[in-house]
Amino acid sequence: MSEEVKWNRTISDVNNGILANLERPHPTFYVAWGFAIICVIIGASTWAWEITKGVGITGKTSPVYWGVLITDFVFWVGIGHAGTLISAILFLFRAKWRNTVNRSAEAMTVFAVITAGLFPLIHVGRLWFALYWFPPLPNTNNLWPNFRSPLVWDLFAISTYLTISLLFWYMGLVPDLASIRDRVKGFKRLVYGIMCFGWRGTAKQWHHYEAGYAFLAALATPLVLSVHSIVSWDFAMSIQPGWHTTIFPPYFVAGAILSGCAMVYTLLVPVRKMFRMEEFIRPEHLEACIKLTLLTSTIVFYAYAVEFFVAWYSGNPYEWAIFEKRAIGPYAFYFWVMVFCNCIFPLIWWSKRMRNNVAVSMVVAVLINVGMWFERYNIIVSSLAEDFLPGSWGHFQPTWGDIGLTIGSFGWFFFWFFIFCKFFPIVSMSELKLIMPKPLSKKH
Amino acid sequence: MKKRPGGVLAVYRYLDQVTDAMKKIRDRNDFKDHEVFSPTSYHEIEEAAGFGASPVRFFTLAGALTGTVTGFGLALWTDFDWPMVVGGKLGGLYSIPAYVVIGFELTILFGGLMTILGMLVMGRLPNPTQRILDPRFTDDRFGIFVPNAKLEGEQAKLLKQCGAEELRLIEPM
Repeated sequence: MSEEVKWNRTISDVNNGILANLERPHPTFYVAWGFAIICVIIGASTWAWEITKGVGITGKTSPVYWGVLITDFVFWVGIGHAGTLISAILFLFRAKWRNTVNRSAEAMTVFAVITAGLFPLIHVGRLWFALYWFPPLPNTNNLWPNFRSPLVWDLFAISTYLTISLLFWYMGLVPDLASIRDRVKGFKRLVYGIMCFGWRGTAKQWHHYEAGYAFLAALATPLVLSVHSIVSWDFAMSIQPGWHTTIFPPYFVAGAILSGCAMVYTLLVPVRKMFRMEEFIRPEHLEACIKLTLLTSTIVFYAYAVEFFVAWYSGNPYEWAIFEKRAIGPYAFYFWVMVFCNCIFPLIWWSKRMRNNVAVSMVVAVLINVGMWFERYNIIVSSLAEDFLPGSWGHFQPTWGDIGLTIGSFGWFFFWFFIFCKFFPIVSMSELKLIMPKPLSKKH
Repeated sequence: MKKRPGGVLAVYRYLDQVTDAMKKIRDRNDFKDHEVFSPTSYHEIEEAAGFGASPVRFFTLAGALTGTVTGFGLALWTDFDWPMVVGGKLGGLYSIPAYVVIGFELTILFGGLMTILGMLVMGRLPNPTQRILDPRFTDDRFGIFVPNAKLEGEQAKLLKQCGAEELRLIEPM
């Protein structure tokens, strides 16, 4: 890959190019940040309203007790998947384009998982009682959590994922923080010096660092695949029609990677402009990201088709009824938005010209994010609303409470992401140097 | 506190020159405790240094195994502590398949934590008394520091021959 990339810069330009820009981002950065803060305020006030008034301010109603908030949870966990995929799996595959985007993708993962982690708390309403099911502690009756419950698995999976992603991200940051320490003076130097643990960049340190990085990547690879599989078991382990299917784990993983990659692209394009990183994040790297998105989009397309086929082929009338209703029933709007956004629009990327057209690609990437949100909504709501007994059927309608909390989650996510962009190098400098032409005295 | 020795610091601009110097240094015994600095993890440097496999792997293994045992142990022990029949299924050994998830997640979690610990321990980090010999080593320059060497000594001569762009005396501190 790097052979094809035309670098106009050498490794000597990396630190200057990336760090100088952090100090004076484009004014649009502050506008975007301010907008994120407004969204956080909307979300926080909605949450306060929910705590005072009760969970009834959301659309949750019998029999749909998992509404928009669990949709948001699954959506944000899914967004969090591309980061570790890009960092770990592409690292093991030696895909060089990852070196320019991995830092922002990892940051995205960390903040997305933190955002996701809020939703079970928001969802339960009186969140202070949630303490009883968080740590594996017996309650007053000496009763332990049920380790056979997918929800407990999910807790373990998500917290492991958050911890490992955080470590992976921070580990990558250490040499770069040392680079900043060596550029700044006074108090800043002390802070960055502490944050980089006193990294000196000796051959020995690099040797152990590389070994540790490879092991962490090897551990994180099955983790990425497991986390969304386990999230899918929250659904698939039940007997609810539309959920109880073995295709769920791979289907969820593919969907998560699709939404994550689309989000990486959505974030990279503006950030690359705001911080003037066009020389380092090259069009070739953006294109590689799109190719991965296109690949996962086709996998998701296939999964949608197989899901329908299996529902029909199983001969199970309850299963088929749900799928029929998804396509032409009361939730058909959500279903077709999902199909068009995730499967049809990305097909435009088969054309190289379109892949390299940033405006078109940006629109498609945002549409994929919308589509993936609708996918989760579609899965959760349509299955819950109408199960085996027509007498217990209901209908779900999102309320302003749901919308406010969802807006708040986007604000919260971008708020942290922008803070990160301002104070940390959003391109991994030490890894970027690795894929640039090596500094050799004689040209080979 | 023990004083850190002074010595000669050679700064290199090119990767092949520093690896060339490293290979020559390896066969000699007057370069005891020398340090090599690099802005990033070039494999050429690792090869030239001739390090064996990093012991970080033992940390990872120990962490991962502890995690597996803890995961299964936690789930099984709570089961024996208060047996519950869920969905008509007995706990304990009958529920092992369900506990694979817990065992797996804790394997990864503990393995990852220990990997980080291993990297820190082996890399002598965190290091509050570190000495930054040259700020350019985290930017684009390579370096070799030879403790207790003199500018007019044999070692400095060899470093210069290999193409060092700068040789500097570092005072003990």
